[in-house]
Amino acid sequence: MAKRKSATDRSYDVVIGALALLAITILLLPVLIVLATSFTTSQSLKFPPPSLSTQWYEALFDPVRSRHIHLAAWNSLIVAGSATLFAAIGAVLAALSISKVNSTSARSLEAGFLSPLILPTLAYGLATLMFFTLLGQRPSLLLLTIGHLVVIAPFIFRTSLASLTQLDPALLEGSLSLGASRFYTFRRITLPIIAPGIIAGAFIAFVASLDNVPVSLFLSNARTDMLPIRMWGMMESTLDVRIAAVSGVMIGAVLLAMIVFDRLVGLTKRISG
Amino acid sequence: MPAAKAVSRSPSKLDRPEWSLAAPLGGIYLCFFAAPLLLLLWISFYEDNELTRMGFGSWRKFLGDPFYVEVVWKTLRLGLTAVVATSLFAYPLALIFYESGDRIRRILLFIVILPLLTSVVVRTFAWIVILAREGVINQTLLALGLTSAPLSLLQTELGLVIALMQIEMPLMLLPLLAVMQRIDPTLVEASTALGASRWRTLFRVMLPLSLPGWVAGATLVFASATTAFISQSVIGGGRLVYLPTVIWQQAMVIFNWPAAAVASVMLLASVLTGIMALGAIGRWISRE
Amino acid sequence: MTHMKPNRRGVLAGGAALATGALLPSSALAKGSLTAAIYPGTWDEAYRAHVIPALKKAHDVDLALEPLFAVDQIVKVAAARGLPPFDCFVLDPGPRATAIERGLFEPFDAKKLSNLGRLPAGYSDQWGVAVNAQVVGIAYNPKKLPKPTSWKDLFTDPWVSRLGLTGFQTTFGTISLIEMAKVFGGSETNVEPIFAEIKKILPKIAAVTPPAALPGLFQQGQIDITYTNTNNIATLKARGVDIELATPDTGALTFITTMHITKGADNKENAYKYIDTVLSAGIQDALMKPPSSMIPVNGDVALSADMPVKKLDELSKFVTHDWTKINPQRAAWIERFNKEVTK
Repeated sequence: MAKRKSATDRSYDVVIGALALLAITILLLPVLIVLATSFTTSQSLKFPPPSLSTQWYEALFDPVRSRHIHLAAWNSLIVAGSATLFAAIGAVLAALSISKVNSTSARSLEAGFLSPLILPTLAYGLATLMFFTLLGQRPSLLLLTIGHLVVIAPFIFRTSLASLTQLDPALLEGSLSLGASRFYTFRRITLPIIAPGIIAGAFIAFVASLDNVPVSLFLSNARTDMLPIRMWGMMESTLDVRIAAVSGVMIGAVLLAMIVFDRLVGLTKRISG
Repeated sequence: MPAAKAVSRSPSKLDRPEWSLAAPLGGIYLCFFAAPLLLLLWISFYEDNELTRMGFGSWRKFLGDPFYVEVVWKTLRLGLTAVVATSLFAYPLALIFYESGDRIRRILLFIVILPLLTSVVVRTFAWIVILAREGVINQTLLALGLTSAPLSLLQTELGLVIALMQIEMPLMLLPLLAVMQRIDPTLVEASTALGASRWRTLFRVMLPLSLPGWVAGATLVFASATTAFISQSVIGGGRLVYLPTVIWQQAMVIFNWPAAAVASVMLLASVLTGIMALGAIGRWISRE
Repeated sequence: MTHMKPNRRGVLAGGAALATGALLPSSALAKGSLTAAIYPGTWDEAYRAHVIPALKKAHDVDLALEPLFAVDQIVKVAAARGLPPFDCFVLDPGPRATAIERGLFEPFDAKKLSNLGRLPAGYSDQWGVAVNAQVVGIAYNPKKLPKPTSWKDLFTDPWVSRLGLTGFQTTFGTISLIEMAKVFGGSETNVEPIFAEIKKILPKIAAVTPPAALPGLFQQGQIDITYTNTNNIATLKARGVDIELATPDTGALTFITTMHITKGADNKENAYKYIDTVLSAGIQDALMKPPSSMIPVNGDVALSADMPVKKLDELSKFVTHDWTKINPQRAAWIERFNKEVTK
């Protein structure tokens, strides 16, 4: 920056900087309120908290008082984890299948793969339950996981597709013409380039599954209690502070995971470049 | 011959999708999405709650009632507003991210994913805290003397869009950042070196190159904002009615499944149209 | 990395157990089990704490509770017709009437209940039995507003500008709006006057809201007056929320929450044992205590001081409603409410 900034460049700095600052405020403010609320001493969700304590985290981790939350959280993590894993495999393959094609069939396939995102999950859950009852199936963990998979796969599909459009075809042609197999080319060239897109999509998909109420409502049974449903009940009838503490735990866990992975493999570097 | 063979296998020369790659997810969708969806479509052609009489009655009632047609329009408008508002704030943040060093990037990335880590249940509560009559915004404005009476933000479309923006921004930023990080910094430097202003560099270099990421993000934002039932009903309140609320009431309270099915299919069709339009705009701009 | 092993094995074992659980149809579960729907939140917590151990002890029946709101229960059973996802419903009168219309219940033989004699007359019929009485009244914030005395107060200052209005989608919302309509010249089947009044006050009121948002809005001071069940009020009050019940001069409203056996239920006999346990004096007494604060229906239970009634027969003087007349009109009311309040 040797040369002096012109007036238009300064206006760029001001406008972009101010908008970005507002963006950070919008992202951050509600989260700070949730965190502050989770450390309250009051008996119900209330902002501002009269004074601070960790009592609600203690209550949340108490194996007796919060046993059902733990069970529900465990179920939700299992469902979200397996649904995300299988959705990622299917969605990346599906994105590869149309990434280099500009025909009408590819466009309709793209719309088809995105459509579960748009159908209200309430209608989807209801229709899926009816459909499987017609086939003589009861709600089960398997059905629930597949239901989640369908609803979250579009996130990974869409972000992978966006990353694939940046892939230089010459790279792939070079690799293939040198005799490399398609799988080898995928693993060594395509995958590293689209990894940030896959990770971004998989992360959104995972938390979308964790937070999904309607599909869980219709496709789970009494033995597979799910976390978001439990949290709804706690919010609506008792303003239970533990639901804020759950968010605190999630944030802490992800922060910790980011630091650890950063040390180990530089994951954030791979997401953020 | 090897060269000719390589060309024939070249992924850049395809003119139709590779169906074998699409098959695994496609198969799951056929059994677990298309089939329930067809069932939903079938139900929409019943005329009564007990599902005994078939006909176009439910469709006629929905499309013939200006109230519901307006609800469809309002829902699409909400999606569009959310895309515009989210882009307006998310893009500058993405630009700052692009220009920052590793350390700042890490912090920004963490801030971006924070909203995803708070459940929708407690997130809506936080927005009540912020937007309410005695809430954070009003307290601040009153303390600064910027207003003499509390503004009503809760249960307005403005408040709803602000609250939606918080959860939509990660959906736009994550694909956008993934794409942006592949943009070669020398292109930006070259543009500045040639004397282009930063605005010009933004519009001629950054925007076109990051467009695929924006289209992906905008798609997710549009879909998410139009179907965000909980935020719409809690933050928006009973005075703003969108399609997901209609679907919930018809399906769960009134028990009129044909009407709920009609509303669901309408939402699916209209939002899919919006998303395909977004994709077409993206392709049109990138061809320019 | 040997210390990692048990952890990993545990995860694998957990996964395998879940996979097997998923493959097993629920009818293959051991004899002596029962699945019952329960309202999420207070009900769910109280039933897990008191009813599950009591049922296990008295009848050796394993109870699994599925937290579902009333409407969710109906829709889930109707969607899974023939393969009921649970054996027992717990419902308010509105959804109950819907379920009867739809034929979702098994006929109920109240004589199988040993506690039947303890219940007030009319608390059981051929479809089910009452397990809890609910009282509905006006909820207000005593630190912000004077105590209202009638439904009409909700439509005048200082209350109207602090009012949180909720529609016909809940039982308490429906009967409260009917009572308001009566005050303005309507009746149980004619709520027309209330729409006219709502239209007049709409620009003034603090919020029109789904019931789920009421506690949060109340807590943060967006609304300071609304109408709801007394046990909601008691629960929130016990958690430090500034909320008080006001009984309108036309009388508090009451309805009963009932339990029913799902059509085609796997475990009908266990369902009777479960319901009988719920009705026993010990359980009814435990459910009456805070934080659940439910009004008991068993006459042997001595009512505690924080209950909205001193004796159970007082409930018979409260205002009740005929849901067979209300239900046919409710769809039209809900639609009308939407259209009237929408900006």
